Amino acid sequence: MDVRLQTSMVFHLDKCIGCHTCSIACKNVWTDREGAEYMWWNNVETKPGTGYPTAWEDQTKYKGGWESNGEKPGLKMGSKSSRLLNIFHNPDLPKLDDYYEPWTYEYENLFDAPEGADQPTARPVSMITGEYMEIEAGPNWDDDLSGSPVYAANDPNLDALTEEQREELFDIERLVFFYLPRICNHCLNPSCVASCPSGAIYKRGEDGVVLINQDKCRAWRMCVTACPYKKTFYNWSTGKSEKCILCFPRLETGQAPACFHSCVGRIRYLGGLLYDADKLVDSVNVPDGHLVDAHRDILLDPHDPEVRKGAMKNGIDERTLEAVERSPVYKFVKEWGLALPLHPEFRTLPMLFYVPPMLPVMANTEDGVYDTANDELFSPIEKSRLPLEFMASLFSAGNIDHVSLALKKQYAVRLFKRLETVGDIDAETVRVALEECGMDEAEAEAIYRLTSLPTMDERVVIPPSHREEALQMLNDDMWDEKGKAGLGSRNLPVRGS
Amino acid sequence: MFMPITKNSYFKSAGLVAFAVALLIGILAAAGFGQDPGRKVFETKCFSCHNIGGGNKQGPDLKGVTDRRSEEWLKEFIRTPTAMSRKDQDAASLFKDFAPEIMPDQSLTDEEMDSLLKTIKTLSDSGEMFTPEGAKLARPIRRSDVREGWRLFTGQKEFENGGVACSTCHGIGSFGSYGGGTLGPDLTATNIKYRDPELILILQEPNFPTMTEMFRDHKLTEEEIVQVFAYLKHSKEVSPNAAIAATTDSGAVEPRFLITGFVFTVLALVGLNFVWRKRHGNVRGDIVERSKI
Repeated sequence: MDVRLQTSMVFHLDKCIGCHTCSIACKNVWTDREGAEYMWWNNVETKPGTGYPTAWEDQTKYKGGWESNGEKPGLKMGSKSSRLLNIFHNPDLPKLDDYYEPWTYEYENLFDAPEGADQPTARPVSMITGEYMEIEAGPNWDDDLSGSPVYAANDPNLDALTEEQREELFDIERLVFFYLPRICNHCLNPSCVASCPSGAIYKRGEDGVVLINQDKCRAWRMCVTACPYKKTFYNWSTGKSEKCILCFPRLETGQAPACFHSCVGRIRYLGGLLYDADKLVDSVNVPDGHLVDAHRDILLDPHDPEVRKGAMKNGIDERTLEAVERSPVYKFVKEWGLALPLHPEFRTLPMLFYVPPMLPVMANTEDGVYDTANDELFSPIEKSRLPLEFMASLFSAGNIDHVSLALKKQYAVRLFKRLETVGDIDAETVRVALEECGMDEAEAEAIYRLTSLPTMDERVVIPPSHREEALQMLNDDMWDEKGKAGLGSRNLPVRGS
Repeated sequence: MFMPITKNSYFKSAGLVAFAVALLIGILAAAGFGQDPGRKVFETKCFSCHNIGGGNKQGPDLKGVTDRRSEEWLKEFIRTPTAMSRKDQDAASLFKDFAPEIMPDQSLTDEEMDSLLKTIKTLSDSGEMFTPEGAKLARPIRRSDVREGWRLFTGQKEFENGGVACSTCHGIGSFGSYGGGTLGPDLTATNIKYRDPELILILQEPNFPTMTEMFRDHKLTEEEIVQVFAYLKHSKEVSPNAAIAATTDSGAVEPRFLITGFVFTVLALVGLNFVWRKRHGNVRGDIVERSKI
């Protein structure tokens, strides 16, 4: 057993209201720079939709992630030799138009325009060329177009649906969508790290944050292709690639990352997970349907004395383990089985998990009469407005059992609390619902508390990363590092060096 | 009084005699060239293709040429024969008579030119035939020289003074499947084209524009001349059917080659453009395009 620590995340999609506050918080802190205008380390997508960059989930086009032939996983973008052949012209990169051309508006014109017959306008100006432009796409374009048939209908996950289901989905008045906020998954088996010819990308030993060394990056852009989530971005100004750093300077000083801190819906949970690195390769060498189980299998119980012993042996501090024991992520992912990885079939073992959203039918229109009355409090999840197949395509590589269980548990918790607070449901119905997903009342209560009433300290339990210990390995003079935190390299990134 | 010759004085006088002889030889030698520097110029620059009074070789016999042509004509022709053949009738007919051979441009200083013309006139007037003085090998050819010459020719062994290997610019029959360079003519039949003294002179002091420049500061040593000469003589024996390759104007451009090259380049670019026609496409553009009614 090789016990290691990963700072991991859960996004509770049932609580996401799609306000994009997280994206703005991230933009203001990290990517409000020349060359980074088009980057959204955190973005919120509308599902069904093509996302950002357009149709990023379609790996037949972008060649991201891993492929497994049952023996050894290999990068989908090709073998080492084929990558070397394409090193000066990587053919599978998203174009700027697949992201979008960043723009601002000519606001000065509103004040400085000479007097004329018309109102002055603020025309859009490209942030790259500085010239007037027509806006054709944006980082959340499908949201702006409210699930338009152009973007929503091209969601790659709709392939999992039957023709009939797809038609129903796009029926007028049946249109349905939910939000999917995405940041870097800080994967356990990161394909971006594996693809980098310069060795510039690495996964931090102490907390598993995946980072790009700006001094070493040589702009080959292999990581941009290799990352199936398209969460590494190329900065055209500095000539280096960049990605979400999980606000590690904030984590090291005990603060939640900016997107977590600012989340209005409080959907974001952060905590440590222990995993067994020895089982890592085997866990991605299983058929698609078993990937979620294999992923959960490598996560270790921090209460297990054996695990604790292994953790101590690998230099994980006692105080860190205490924080890991309180990890909300461990509860959501392992104990309750509520949270699922996004697209596990990419085989990167993403460490950001999602609680799938419930999309119950709340009303019917019949003969032009809008009827909110329903026989049941909530429609059963089998009748959810988005078919389970769609959710399974997103969160469990096609295995419907996992999404079904996660949704049924949420459904049961609602009934359980309804009985307690309002009392207008039959106790037997609640018992059946709880039993169906193998849940007792204590667990239902715990899920309810962590979903609805968690404090900041319960949602974000940062395992102390003990940077001082990592630094000690690099620098003998500990006093020199005293009181320091944050970005190690203070050199400006320079193209070509 | 009788003075016996001591051992010491004997050596002294012997040394004196030796010194006197050396001095005399030196003076004579200096005088020999000093008297007529034009002979030296003719020998190194002209003799491989021209005679004075010995009949036509690669080029015409120059006996009496100073009477046939004006001095200005001669000077211009010697320096830029090819250019002149394009505008001057006489020069053109000369080129025609000796085609496909051309005369390479010769870079001579004014003094060299004057002395050369003077020598041609003197020899023509006196009816004396020009015989070269220096066109001799340092030693007789040995069997092993052919192999050594081949090594020098192909560049397997470097020239002592840093000269470029012959095969850089010249091909030769026995060189191998890839052949040598094509800047200069093929040298397989070169010992038929030039007689021995002429060939030796070329090796000693190359008088073709390209070679003159390249070997100005990198002359072949006496030993190397013997070896390369031996190899060049031998190569005709290996490939007896080789034709004599003419000295041609290296500045001439064959238009057909250029045109063919241009056409193929354009075809290749058009082909690549077709094969990679989707390289500027993007995912979003395709989706939007497909959704248009």
